[in-house]
Amino acid sequence: MAPLRRWGPVATLVVLAVLPWGLARHQLSLLTDLLIFSLFALSLDLIMGYTGMVSFGHAAYFGLGAYGSALLLIHFEVPIPIALLGGALGAGLVAWPVGYISTRATGIYFAMLTLAFAQLLYTLAYKWRALTGGSDGIAGVPKTALWWGGPSLVEPRAFYFLILVSFLVAFVLCRALVRSPFGRALQAIRENERKFATLGQDPRRFKVIVFVIAAALAGLAGALSAPFRGFASPEAMFWLLSGQALMMVIIGGIGTLVGPAIGAMVFVLVQEVLSSYTEHWMLFTGAIFVLMVIFLPGGIVGAARRRFAA
Amino acid sequence: MSLALVVDLILNAIAQSALLFLVAVGLSLVFGVLRVMNFAHGVFYMLGAYLGFTVVARSGSFWLSLVLAPVATGLLGGLLERTTLRYIYRRPPIYQLLLTFGLALVLEELVRVVWGPSALPVDPPAGLEGAVTILGAVYPRYRLFLVVLGMVTGVALWFFLQRTRVGLVIRAAAQNDEMAACLGTDVARVRTGVFAAACALAAVGGVAAAPMTTAYLGMGIGVIVDAFVVVVIGGLGSIVGSMAGSLIVGIAQTWGGFYFSEAAMAIMYLVMGLVLIFRPWGLFGEEE
Repeated sequence: MAPLRRWGPVATLVVLAVLPWGLARHQLSLLTDLLIFSLFALSLDLIMGYTGMVSFGHAAYFGLGAYGSALLLIHFEVPIPIALLGGALGAGLVAWPVGYISTRATGIYFAMLTLAFAQLLYTLAYKWRALTGGSDGIAGVPKTALWWGGPSLVEPRAFYFLILVSFLVAFVLCRALVRSPFGRALQAIRENERKFATLGQDPRRFKVIVFVIAAALAGLAGALSAPFRGFASPEAMFWLLSGQALMMVIIGGIGTLVGPAIGAMVFVLVQEVLSSYTEHWMLFTGAIFVLMVIFLPGGIVGAARRRFAA
Repeated sequence: MSLALVVDLILNAIAQSALLFLVAVGLSLVFGVLRVMNFAHGVFYMLGAYLGFTVVARSGSFWLSLVLAPVATGLLGGLLERTTLRYIYRRPPIYQLLLTFGLALVLEELVRVVWGPSALPVDPPAGLEGAVTILGAVYPRYRLFLVVLGMVTGVALWFFLQRTRVGLVIRAAAQNDEMAACLGTDVARVRTGVFAAACALAAVGGVAAAPMTTAYLGMGIGVIVDAFVVVVIGGLGSIVGSMAGSLIVGIAQTWGGFYFSEAAMAIMYLVMGLVLIFRPWGLFGEEE
């Protein structure tokens, strides 16, 4: 395990940096998609794995980020980083009152509340045609430049690296966060919220803050997806995406930082392979997922750790 | 606002509540006894509607479909509980939610494979077509039937749980499953039975809804989110809570839809938010 631990990240980085030159256009776009989902799943694991708050409405913030950046890019043609910042901030801002209300409940009630709020936001996006384009969404989102008059990001490889860097920044940030005193507090809340409260701290304050951070990171993932795909649509806020993010986290390994990325990879690749054989791929992903929940509760990372530890 | 309109709105709200109740009460019961939030519950509602369509198409009898479809759905539910959920009761509750989410995906896709993607219309049974006039309001007969169906089911369920021996055992298992097991109750069987019965109830709702809404893909998800709101408002595990919650949501949906059209959904969530601020465990729920 030790050499894997030391050289694994370096090797992964090298592969991710070199890979774009060895891939066909379609494969590169799949890899880019994969990184966006990895970032999204990572943000969910921050609240789900490290704080024990299972959100069933995380897609709402992905979607808010997508709409935020799409609107900024289309109407103001701002440089991409500004659009990313705008999308992330917008998602975090909306998450604040939602988190404030939802954290009044815990466990299943919390999950249901986040789902209900996400559905509310989804309906809003669906019905507010003037702003969001309704069910058509916003199409023609441009890939603008890195800064005003700076290098353009239209080239697929350039955009890939933008997303790779965003993912790495978010990853390092999450790593620092879970190892900080604040992160320790979150894990203490996960283990025993009542005990944590008796130590004289208000767990809800921590929970609201981490909920907002996770939503902002999900927003960042969404904000990246809008210019990458060229559109933002209400589907990005639908419960199905929230559920898929949960699947990625569980498949990869809950409560780990690499787990969600691995889960996203497995999920996207399985979907890609299955969908080339059958249009009813959801049948098989669903069944695989059911089996994984029963037989592999720690996900792939959990199983690997057990194996190497033994 | 005329009297006829008021009557119309009230009846609509109650009919809507009745359908919601049939779904929500099963969700609530399953949570009370199995401690599982069943994400697949809405899919069983949808399955009921589709099976109902097939029975009506083959036999021509709506009433037969109201019996056969729920029985078949209940059997399938019981089978799924035995083969999947049973093995993970000891895990944290979120794993059960995720498992049922996986089941929901599989079942939804299966329905698409078997019945195809387009919506299937079901005719109301003979004798319940057309409309009647109540206090000046012209009202569809079929919706009155829904009101009666919801009320009868609610009362019957209450009697069953409070006044029969099986009901007593179910309540005992809900309150303390270990103690119930010590006293000789086969808790595993109770769980399977309750799960199957809840699925059957949802299917009754689906069969009954189909003449109004048609049977369509996605109807399960629409209803499950509403049912979640109902049980969160009413409190999980409480029949009275499901009734109250269904009424509140039904009224919010129909009256909100009348006054604010687009904002109807928002009102439902607003009510839920208010309830949770003052009673985080729901109106009739108990703090865990």
